[in-house]
Amino acid sequence: MSGSGGMRGSRRAGVPAAAVAITVLACLAVWALGADYALAQAAFVTTWAIAGLGVIVVVGQCGQVSLGQGALLGLGAYAQALLALRGVPAPLSLPVAVALGAAGGWLASLPARRLGGLYFAMSTLAFALIVEEALVRWESVTHGAAGFAVPPLALGGWVADTSLAQALVGGVALALAWLACRRWVASRLGRAWRAVREDEVAAAAAGIDVARAKTLAFVLGGGLSGLAGALYAHWIGFVSPEQFGLMLSFELLMLAFIGGAQHLAGALWGALVVVALPQGVSLAVERLPPGLAGAAGIETALFGAVLVIIVLLRPGGLAGSR
Amino acid sequence: MSALSLIQVLASGVATGCVYGLVALSFVLIYKATGAVSFMQGELLMLGAFTVLALHEAAGLPLAAAVVLGVAAMAAFGALLERTLLRRTLGPAHLTALLLTFGLGMVMRGAVGAVPAASHAMHRLPLPFAGDSVQLGGAVLAAEHLAVIVATAALAAVLTLFFRRTRAGLALRACSENAEVAALMGVSVPRMHTLAWALGAGLAAVAGVLLAPVTFVHPNMGLVALKAFPAAVLGGMTSLPGALAGGVFLGVVEALAGLALPEGVKDVVPYVLMMAVLLLFPGGFAAGLRGRP
Repeated sequence: MSGSGGMRGSRRAGVPAAAVAITVLACLAVWALGADYALAQAAFVTTWAIAGLGVIVVVGQCGQVSLGQGALLGLGAYAQALLALRGVPAPLSLPVAVALGAAGGWLASLPARRLGGLYFAMSTLAFALIVEEALVRWESVTHGAAGFAVPPLALGGWVADTSLAQALVGGVALALAWLACRRWVASRLGRAWRAVREDEVAAAAAGIDVARAKTLAFVLGGGLSGLAGALYAHWIGFVSPEQFGLMLSFELLMLAFIGGAQHLAGALWGALVVVALPQGVSLAVERLPPGLAGAAGIETALFGAVLVIIVLLRPGGLAGSR
Repeated sequence: MSALSLIQVLASGVATGCVYGLVALSFVLIYKATGAVSFMQGELLMLGAFTVLALHEAAGLPLAAAVVLGVAAMAAFGALLERTLLRRTLGPAHLTALLLTFGLGMVMRGAVGAVPAASHAMHRLPLPFAGDSVQLGGAVLAAEHLAVIVATAALAAVLTLFFRRTRAGLALRACSENAEVAALMGVSVPRMHTLAWALGAGLAAVAGVLLAPVTFVHPNMGLVALKAFPAAVLGGMTSLPGALAGGVFLGVVEALAGLALPEGVKDVVPYVLMMAVLLLFPGGFAAGLRGRP
């Protein structure tokens, strides 16, 4: 691999630059929006970034397409929310949410693990639609389509009910997830993922168990999605099945694509954009003449147009080199 | 449960399945010819139905002319999208195609939703047979179901002739089998890509017109296309007749599930079936029957 030396060099240079950029952005956000609002948004950005890491493991590292990440977030969110309602402390319920996300990732990828390619998109899509319908129909447990309110995150006696506490928890969780991802990506498994992404036949010829590498990507990516969903449920304070539909899965794909799916840092950049974009679109729509009918439609169309423009201008993602 | 009412349920299942099958056909056609995964077939279907509706109600064309003109306009729209946006970006990368077509679908859905006349009222295409019923040996069948089945059969026959007998159809098939060899044989591959998108958009529009009398015409009617993915998988993902057959099969299974199983299970059946098929017969049902992996 002749490119690896250069890559490592650019990554070293990239980390301080990214840190400076994020600090500047954070200061700007606090100055423009007020500390409380900025911290609440920071909690969301860190949580989206964790979910983005899950997508990057599956899509960026292993090169497979998943249309079911939104449903995996949903599994984590519902597990955490239902356990929190019953008074289970977060240190016990978070592992359950992560495990449920990982199990969901395994199940969603199971039918396609030897087929790959488009079949992963199909099987994960089917899984996501089944989960969404189950959340709506299993009313005795999930409260159906109406959803329910989620109590704030409780760690022992400490309750994370302020924006500062939520941003802190999100930051710590993101840091842990980041460290785990860095280890995976640098490990034998990570090399297997990239080999599968570049050329499955060659990877198999080199002795890599291709199906196992793909399954592990979906399991680990699912676990990260479960964690992100669990935190998201607390920050937003309310869960309902429609939050975790197909739209969320596409938003997560968009996140990884915008940030540059092949680098872990892409998760953070993508998360910033995905949190900021809907609010920017809403602001833009509010500027339209009042009384204009169909504002919701215009919002959808604008969001889609931004997605189209990004894909057209930077097919490799915003952070990608090409 | 009498045999007659079973026939009625089956007829409605086959009719719904025909719509699934047509959308799956348009998806597989584009996928085979260009390698691109289109996630906007449902939106093309919705746009087709609205185009016909607008031509008929707002522009005052007779219904038959509106249908022909609307489907032709959608085919032209598909070709235009391919020439302007899709050609430059779509390659074998599924992620790019998925995101781009999903984004385009959102633009279409949002644009139609932003028109007050389109989103604030339910619309029906006033097809001449809508609401009628036909007596067939004791069974009372809805005329729109029969019309959907007949129209789909006719369309399938025309498509078969197109793919078997015409130069363009053969070239399109050659291009789907092996683009490089087709190019060496003098087939213009880029033009075939344009043709595939035009046909795909046109087929989706036809499906929209056929769906219009069964459900209402509304901005979210494209959701029906989600059922086209299981239909395509059941048909083996790369087979045009398979996609249509998969759609009909799915429609019938769904109708029977609605009859026999508790509320809500019906909506999940196609996806459970799809996962089971991927697990057991990864090449689709047809390949599974032939015993090929």
